[in-house]
Amino acid sequence: MPGHVSLEEVRKIAQLAKLSFSEEELTRFFQDISDIIAHFEKLNELDLEDVSPTSHISWSQPPMNPDEPVDWQGSDLVLKHAPCAAGRYFIVPKVVEKEEKLS
Amino acid sequence: MNLRDFRNFTIRDYQDLFAKGELVPRELLTIFLERIREVDSLLHAFLFVNEDRAFARAQKLEEEGRDRSVCPPLWGIPIAIKDNICTLGIPTTCASRILEGYIPPYNATVIERLEAAGAIILGKTNMDEFAMGSSTENSAYGPTRNPFDLERVPGGSSGGSAAALASLEAPLALGSDTGGSVRQPAAFCGIVGLRPTYGRVSRYGLVSFASSLDQIGPMARTVEDTITLFEIISGRDERDSTCAPYPPFSRAEIPQEEEVRKMIIGLPREYFSEGVDSRIVGTIEEVLKGLEKEGLTIREVSLPHTSYALEAYYIVAPSEASSNLARYDGVLYGLREGGEGTLQDMYFRTRTSGFGAEVKRRILLGTYSLSSGYYDAYYLKGMKVRTLVRQDFERAFQECHLLITPVSPVFPFFLGERTKNPYEMYLADVFTIPSAMAGIPALSLNCGYVDNLPVGLQIIAGPFQEGVLFGLALFLEQMLSLPLPLPEIGQQRRS
Repeated sequence: MPGHVSLEEVRKIAQLAKLSFSEEELTRFFQDISDIIAHFEKLNELDLEDVSPTSHISWSQPPMNPDEPVDWQGSDLVLKHAPCAAGRYFIVPKVVEKEEKLS
Repeated sequence: MNLRDFRNFTIRDYQDLFAKGELVPRELLTIFLERIREVDSLLHAFLFVNEDRAFARAQKLEEEGRDRSVCPPLWGIPIAIKDNICTLGIPTTCASRILEGYIPPYNATVIERLEAAGAIILGKTNMDEFAMGSSTENSAYGPTRNPFDLERVPGGSSGGSAAALASLEAPLALGSDTGGSVRQPAAFCGIVGLRPTYGRVSRYGLVSFASSLDQIGPMARTVEDTITLFEIISGRDERDSTCAPYPPFSRAEIPQEEEVRKMIIGLPREYFSEGVDSRIVGTIEEVLKGLEKEGLTIREVSLPHTSYALEAYYIVAPSEASSNLARYDGVLYGLREGGEGTLQDMYFRTRTSGFGAEVKRRILLGTYSLSSGYYDAYYLKGMKVRTLVRQDFERAFQECHLLITPVSPVFPFFLGERTKNPYEMYLADVFTIPSAMAGIPALSLNCGYVDNLPVGLQIIAGPFQEGVLFGLALFLEQMLSLPLPLPEIGQQRRS
């Protein structure tokens, strides 16, 4: 039911957002978010049935650029400041576990 | 020359001294660097002072010499940059631990343009983490303090830029405005700040918070300098597809004084309601009386969806933020919390340790609004309300040229006063959010002082009507003739 977020939902959302919390923190964030979402109920006062949504404000016609590759010299700097890189690659922890079955 | 001589200076005055040979860029830079050393341990407006590079750049400018015929407008002028604008080779942290030590491999378009105009990057200014906040208390590196009263906040999120200008640590600054982040700190610190029409300034190199709302804005001590800065940073940019394909702003767009006197000014009644501090309303009403005496027409108008804009904003902005901030995963740049475990473990550790509480709150809120089953109830509804807010302004501008409102319903509040209840902090932006949602330009101008605290007046214009807006702002600035800020830092502490 919109407007009544549950602690379990916040737990699930935290997983989706890749954030971990202690139970205490989770409870605090749950309270904050419940409070804020309760304010959103105010929008139910409006009749929005025939209103079209504005996803992006554009007061001008977006320009079309030629689709041409541009030479960019910054890739060495990008790799230099990466948390972990080797050669021309970013290094990350193992993505697939050994015992995991690939289907 | 010393700092006090510069109190009422505009960029043109510095340029005059350069032209006469009475001042050189290194000398000017030294005066501002000394000022930073003198007061920034109290204010904490800067996260990084670009001393060595700035000095080298000033020296280079001097060696090249000042060509009087084609002298770039900001030749030798130091400028402070909000720390969410990418500067090649200069740390850019967004006041977040997750970008600690990040050094951008490129310049934002606005930085390229400033440098081409002769400016010197003085340093990077403090802000609320990822521009999420209204007090600069959400900085991972500690808050900035208001130069008028060190116990009070400078506003936010561009609080560092505003405090640096008010204390004359810098003569010019850039901020960014998603829901009021240029205008509210400008009001709290008694300086000038413009949120441009959405698309008038390139966002290339501005770290994304809510892409459909973010705009870089010029901040300065005078309207005149705000215009100079806006001329330089505005205009088309192929690298930002949301940037309007129009030429840079030109002074020719500003109406003459006699045109300004014929203007009809709208007062949206929803912005003068009960919740606004009566001393703020009183100060603005005095200004309006002055304008009427000068021949302008004041007319009450209505923006009926004003009170819904805040809620819609806190659906739309966190939704976009939750998506934009998914990129901070410890792989490409910034912080990585490595250690044992899988890639997923690294993501969780990095994000959990790198983001502060308000950023996490907004990521959770946005993820919720966008999640399956709630999209229609929240995000879609938010976008629909955005349409109504825009239509309110379109109707109002059929009756008047410009709108005048307070910037903030309250005076600068005390540090810690609003941090316990996030929603109370969100209310600080109630008068700056609607124009941001509509993508239209709005400027904050100091219009008086109450108990030594500045009062910000907001002028709102239709899309691409910055010229009209500046016309009134210049007129008002002259009419009010207020002293420019230069508070005695640290002298105001109460016993």
